[in-house]
Amino acid sequence: MKLHFLKSKEKKAILKELELHYGITKLPYLLLKTGKQKIRGYSGHLSKEEIQELTRLTNVEIIGDYLISKKDQDPRISFDAIQLFKITKNITEINNNQLQKWLRGYDLNIPNIPRGITILKYKEDLVGIGKSNTEKIFNYVPKERKLKIPLHSTE
Amino acid sequence: MKYEMKPLFKQRMQTLLPNQEDFNKYEKIIHTEPENFIRCNTIKISPSSLLSRLQKKWKVLQPCKEFPEIMLINQDLKPGELGNALEHVLGYYYIQEVSSMLPPIALNPKPNELILDLCASPGSKTSQIAMYMQNQGTIIANDLKIDRIKILSSNLGKCGVTNTIITRKDAISFCSQLSKSNFPKFDKILVDAPCSGEGTLRSSPKTFLMWNPKVIKKFSRQQKKFVAFALKCLKPNGTLVYSTCTHAPEENEEVISFMLENFPIKIETIRLPLKCHPGINSWKEKSYHNDVKHTCRIYPQDNNSEGFFVSKITLLEEIK
Repeated sequence: MKLHFLKSKEKKAILKELELHYGITKLPYLLLKTGKQKIRGYSGHLSKEEIQELTRLTNVEIIGDYLISKKDQDPRISFDAIQLFKITKNITEINNNQLQKWLRGYDLNIPNIPRGITILKYKEDLVGIGKSNTEKIFNYVPKERKLKIPLHSTE
Repeated sequence: MKYEMKPLFKQRMQTLLPNQEDFNKYEKIIHTEPENFIRCNTIKISPSSLLSRLQKKWKVLQPCKEFPEIMLINQDLKPGELGNALEHVLGYYYIQEVSSMLPPIALNPKPNELILDLCASPGSKTSQIAMYMQNQGTIIANDLKIDRIKILSSNLGKCGVTNTIITRKDAISFCSQLSKSNFPKFDKILVDAPCSGEGTLRSSPKTFLMWNPKVIKKFSRQQKKFVAFALKCLKPNGTLVYSTCTHAPEENEEVISFMLENFPIKIETIRLPLKCHPGINSWKEKSYHNDVKHTCRIYPQDNNSEGFFVSKITLLEEIK
């Protein structure tokens, strides 16, 4: 595995973007770039040198957790990592009907949300991330996390 | 479809459970579905918050006072109901049988330790270890096959585990290479070994059909190799927890006895939140080391759980 640890300057730039878009002020992870656009965070205590030594000894497949994608213009937080951050900005509250559609992978017809990435919130839970075009919010729930059961009759 | 125990399997279980009433309870319970246990993922939510949420829809119990993360949904559920709940989608809980929660409890992980989970997939125990470590320290979670690594990665991701490095290697080569290198030795190692799965009859009734005594011997040989190589990667005074989901003594006490006879280790007494039978000292023509009595056999009829075997050892001096 080819390791690309983000330098302090790169990490600062990402944190700045996260603060701007989501109000996130802490990023207590060693950041690694994997693929072209994914950034993983490792909160463990091994040094970069120890991780590199491990890579030399065995097949290191994955380090830490997938936190952020740089696929869009704005940084996109991964579905599973949303609860790991204290997010205060760009939050769109949804109701139960919308939640049920959202978890099944449907886009939501919610107009007037500023263009770009938005975090979906249902009651006290952050339930995903989507992208608004000011008319609707496109669904970014990963395929493996989507509910495969039909919508209830109440929706 | 109701499967039956193969005659030899039945005979072996009757030997392990000589009390007829006990055996009858065992024979009855293995034909029932397991209880709906979940484990609160404290990386994302506290047990008290999860409990208050879940109690609005289900009858939820916390059967182990010392371990509030263990929860039992004490009612009938529709198929898929546990897996499709919002709290599950968001990774607030992990569906995990209670006996499978015991090896991480025995391991007693602490933040900032370096821990090896040698046969980690699908990740239920790895994620449990990570939450006890509060996502600090490091877990090296190893498994052999790429499809199993994908499942492991997905489950750890869902639980928000960030202190783990996933490696893919056969357990013996992995330990052999690490032990010869300058890579730090581990504080703790979990060997939740591949096994014949006799304890999983309730959740996987096909095990009734697949059970085969030759497989037990094969696993036993492999398990001894796993622990022998794993011990080389452990710090002096480090802890190794060896567990299986089988009742077969060849895969349990025999492996521990092999370790006691060949390595500088001692067996620790473990306090687990389920009723345990002590390890047995002999099986068929073989006698085991006396200290295997400190290991724990978990039988389904004692706890309304699946079957398991858990043991904990301390390495007394480094193995070069």
